[in-house]
Amino acid sequence: MATLLHLIQAEWLKLTRRPLIWLLYGTFVVLLLITFAALLFVVLLHDGAIGGVAVQVLNDNQINQFRQELRFPGVFGALLGQINSIGGILAMILAAGVIGNEYSWGTLRVQLARQPQRGYYLIAKLLTLLLILLVGMLLVILAGGLFTLIAGWLLGNLGRVSAGDLGLLLLGMLRALYVMLPYVLFVVAASIIGRSVLAGVAGGLIFLTLDGGAGTLSFLSQTDNPIVRGIYNLLLQPNISRLVAQHRQSFGTDPTAVTGLDLSTLPPTWQAIIVIGVYSIVFAGYAYVSFTRRDIVGAS
Amino acid sequence: MSTEWAIEFHALTRRFGQHTAVDALSLRVPRSSVFGFLGPNGAGKTTTIAMLLGLVRPTSGHITIFGHDVQRTPTTALQRVGAMIEYPAFFPYLSGYDNLRVLARADGIAQPHARIQQVLALVDLAARSKDRFKTYSQGMKQRLGIAAALLNQPDLIVLDEPTNGLDPAGTVEMRELIRTLASEGRTIFMSSHLLHEVEQVCDQVAIIKQGKLIASGKVTELLHRGQGLLVQVTDQAEAAVALLGKLDWVNSVRHEGLTLLIDAPHERAAEINALLTRNDILVAEIRTREASLEAFFLQVTEQP
Repeated sequence: MATLLHLIQAEWLKLTRRPLIWLLYGTFVVLLLITFAALLFVVLLHDGAIGGVAVQVLNDNQINQFRQELRFPGVFGALLGQINSIGGILAMILAAGVIGNEYSWGTLRVQLARQPQRGYYLIAKLLTLLLILLVGMLLVILAGGLFTLIAGWLLGNLGRVSAGDLGLLLLGMLRALYVMLPYVLFVVAASIIGRSVLAGVAGGLIFLTLDGGAGTLSFLSQTDNPIVRGIYNLLLQPNISRLVAQHRQSFGTDPTAVTGLDLSTLPPTWQAIIVIGVYSIVFAGYAYVSFTRRDIVGAS
Repeated sequence: MSTEWAIEFHALTRRFGQHTAVDALSLRVPRSSVFGFLGPNGAGKTTTIAMLLGLVRPTSGHITIFGHDVQRTPTTALQRVGAMIEYPAFFPYLSGYDNLRVLARADGIAQPHARIQQVLALVDLAARSKDRFKTYSQGMKQRLGIAAALLNQPDLIVLDEPTNGLDPAGTVEMRELIRTLASEGRTIFMSSHLLHEVEQVCDQVAIIKQGKLIASGKVTELLHRGQGLLVQVTDQAEAAVALLGKLDWVNSVRHEGLTLLIDAPHERAAEINALLTRNDILVAEIRTREASLEAFFLQVTEQP
């Protein structure tokens, strides 16, 4: 246990000093603020607050959703949704960098020559990566919260945050992290197998493409054939969608109004938790076995 | 576990597909010695060192460090080892000090600040310790690599080309540092292509070629084996080689053009001169062949 703690301390120092991390988080905050500014702009246009003319291209239900997402606590659901979309991609890039660069810089062999318990090393790395992702989420929520103070003031309704909402926010952050797990672990495994950042990023892109492709098969979830429906619901995409939808649901906004998602076709929450867990365990296991059994350096 | 050997390689073999990088290497490195591990490029030195440090798994055979098997008990075997392999590898965005702090944290070193300052001073890098690693010169990177290897106060220090990138003054400093470390009772296992340096600091050397051990022993003994005579003839070099090859006290003889390279005692020079002259082979010059590790290295590695 002491070894693991020492390794986590070392990883924390490496990660918190790494410019890439703060660059990615900065990029995320900027993208998030642009998205929220666009939402605010649409609502202000709808209300005729800009130029004195009301431009009403969205229906009342959609505009109401936007309003809720621009005040407390509805903003938390929208922020967690963003964390699992844009943030998920950035987390994959981060994971590829954290593992792959250790190979390309040669720092992995230096550390493993001193610390031959490779399993501990990988576990410490993953735990620290998850911790730093949680820190990133906090920063994003903080930035989104500050923007909401401005938006709420402009729209005349800040909303309010109860202790229960903060509890739901904490739960939502853990859920968002859980949703990211299979993607991050897949990238980690790809970086280890390819011993590079490029392998991790390429693996992540292929995985995202296949995962996105599975989303286009959503019509299969509406078929009468229970076997086809059952198989489709074992793919990652519908299970991820189930948990991500809960971000907005838990803060009283309707995920279907903005995303067009049909919640009735998605697998139940308990299944989503199990399926995502199984994918994560498989990817983590593959990463662990590859890391602990393969040579760290190639022929030389 | 008490043993007189710091490292023991037992029939160590590593294959990468059809290529055998290390071939049944058996070698013992005595405690408290400075041991040079030599070989031409691609001979398998780095692969051997990577196996020694548990980074590459042997296809067969095994390695023990102070009696502990690297494969079976890696934590115990490697806990008294400090190493720099291939090139000094650090996080480019961290300072030299912070890079050592990462390693000290992972090692669980108590009072890391004091120890880090100590090793930085030892390699003369204290003044630049707060600068980022990526701004360091090759020599500074090399010195930081040595500092990292010394951080956990190891009994065995493994150095792969420690003088790479160092200027002449830095090379001399490195030589002194290695001698100091050895005088403290530590074992140094180093690979280098600077044979002059190896000759000056190492007690023993091993030479490998194509993954196989081709020579090993004390430097003084190997130098003795490299001694001999150089004889310049005016013609008939082939005939001279045939003639001298028949003598009992000539260990070996070959020629490069009209120069005969003879492994024989110096005091026999007059006899060689007389013999060749009697057989109408005119001798232009006879001199003692200088004994150097470089000459010996070239002699053993250039043989087919």
